[in-house]
Amino acid sequence: MIDPKRVLRALAEHWTLLEPLCERFDAGTLSLVELRNQLAAQLPEGTPTDVTALLDQWIRLDILVPVAKSPNRFELNAQIHDFLAYLRREHRLGLCLEIEAYLRHLERLAGYIKDAFEVRDAADLARQLRLLDMRVRDVLKKLANDEQALVAVAERAKTSDRQIPLRQRYAEVLATWDEYVEPMIQLVAADGAFEQGVYRVEHVLLRLLSEQQRLGQLVDDDLLLRTHARILEMQTTAQLTLRRARELLLPLREEARRHNAVTRGAALALAAIRKKGLDAVPQASLPLFSRPQSTFLGTASQVEAYVYALARFEPKPAQFPKAHSSRKGEAPRAPRTAREMIERCEQALPLPDLMVWLLEQEPEGATDELLYWFSRLSRDGRFQRERLERRDYLTREHQVSLSSFALIKPAGTTAL
Amino acid sequence: MNIDLKELTQLAPIFRELFKGYHISRSNPELYSQLAGQQDQYRGLFKALGYELTCDSRGFYYFVPEQMGAQVNKTAQRLALFTFILVEHLADQGRDPLAVLDGGSLGRDELPALLEKYRDLFLQAEVTTQDELEEKVMRRLTQLGFASEDNGIYRFLAPMHRFLDVCLSVQQDRDLAATLHSSLPLPTPVLLDEEAEDEIISLAADESEEDALARAMAEERDAQEIDA
Repeated sequence: MIDPKRVLRALAEHWTLLEPLCERFDAGTLSLVELRNQLAAQLPEGTPTDVTALLDQWIRLDILVPVAKSPNRFELNAQIHDFLAYLRREHRLGLCLEIEAYLRHLERLAGYIKDAFEVRDAADLARQLRLLDMRVRDVLKKLANDEQALVAVAERAKTSDRQIPLRQRYAEVLATWDEYVEPMIQLVAADGAFEQGVYRVEHVLLRLLSEQQRLGQLVDDDLLLRTHARILEMQTTAQLTLRRARELLLPLREEARRHNAVTRGAALALAAIRKKGLDAVPQASLPLFSRPQSTFLGTASQVEAYVYALARFEPKPAQFPKAHSSRKGEAPRAPRTAREMIERCEQALPLPDLMVWLLEQEPEGATDELLYWFSRLSRDGRFQRERLERRDYLTREHQVSLSSFALIKPAGTTAL
Repeated sequence: MNIDLKELTQLAPIFRELFKGYHISRSNPELYSQLAGQQDQYRGLFKALGYELTCDSRGFYYFVPEQMGAQVNKTAQRLALFTFILVEHLADQGRDPLAVLDGGSLGRDELPALLEKYRDLFLQAEVTTQDELEEKVMRRLTQLGFASEDNGIYRFLAPMHRFLDVCLSVQQDRDLAATLHSSLPLPTPVLLDEEAEDEIISLAADESEEDALARAMAEERDAQEIDA
């Protein structure tokens, strides 16, 4: 037998060397060469003999054990590994089946307790009660460990790279749900093995208490009451663990399921559009929204003409000039046509600032007219534009603040 | 229900935005918090005026247009198409589509590759160049409050859930999946010309504005004569 004090002393003394090794052993076994390299890296001043002595000591104390059928590969002794994992607060999720097996054992122990009481074997009754109590502690320990492991599963999923696909990111969550949470839900359900088992054990213990009062004491009542209380604690803990597991993992699982549905839906829609065109997407499912406001910019006279053309608009009687009357003052200038303005603009290219050019061309132009031309010319496909810094421009009547454009010939066209 | 107009301090801007088809979400904190705080009052007032305010629990508000005027327009189809494409593109790249479309962002520099890869599909929505993609899709997304744009980065906002819901409903649509696998020839739908949505007067390629105006007036006169 190995002296526990020596094992604990070695663990304490070599903790700085063992802790990084734990992470390596979490991922698998290590060959003797890998172990030596790892230790040599951590002990820069140590000689190869020191490393050998250290490894020998760990092997002698059963901290390191050879892997079955691979004498040159080593792993941490499973008991030590669990102990260190507990100290490092690292929890591996157990199996739901383990809890079920413990419960079956609890039920068997309840049967032995009943038998021992019936034959009035006080020693056996006390022994079986102690075994029951220890088994309940095992279940409690396991539930606490599993809860921590579940927290870690959820944390890993939430903190892993957002850029990797959700399916990959949540693979562990989905597997945990299927392999642990789902069977736990069935186990802890009212008609599940957990509740049934707890009920049977509880029933035996309570019956024992009342029978002791009637037939005389075989064991201390306190022992029975303590065990009963621990059974109830186990029941509550199992329910709380399950609730916590659902709270932690259900939203993530739903997110992953929704993500799959969205990706599949998009692929399906694209396949349908490829085959049947845009209208293939069921119209009922498309969002309805009001049209965005028009971005059309027109001058007052254009809007008036538009309204005149569209609606039942009462026109003002047209005042045509009489043939015989002579005009007073200057003849009104014919309005600029779009074609004329575009041609003039094309000839003037490159324009360092469209708005400045417009002001030069039409110094007496109304502000809305100028803004109309600014919008029309800057958006024309014949010009390539570059946005300029915002600044103020003075028209005849207003000060206008806008980000103008420099217009150039589009790349690929040659000057005429 | 008593509505105290004094409490509705943002009534005018909220109505203006919603009326334009804009979706108000947390990206617009002032309007959003006002709507969230006085939700019932706003809903009651708008209902009395004939507008249905929808409050989505995922954090956005919008007007549902009347069924009459709300035929699915090409903008909705384009934006839905863009969403499908983006989801598939991101999934192909091994990126998480939901992380991008639910509060994530997309650089403008990613658009050319997207356009190139899905040219055939964008063509169906009459989007052939990057300018058109920005004008007909990205600008619409920002105008309607589905996304915001800052320095060449598009950030997708909560209302994008409306398009993600389309993906989900398509996924649940068994009929669509069934027709997809049938081998019957299907007619290619004729898309309505909706250019009038952008400009009051549609211009033919070689037509000046004056000509277009004269044509529109003549058409209207003809229509009135027929009516008479």
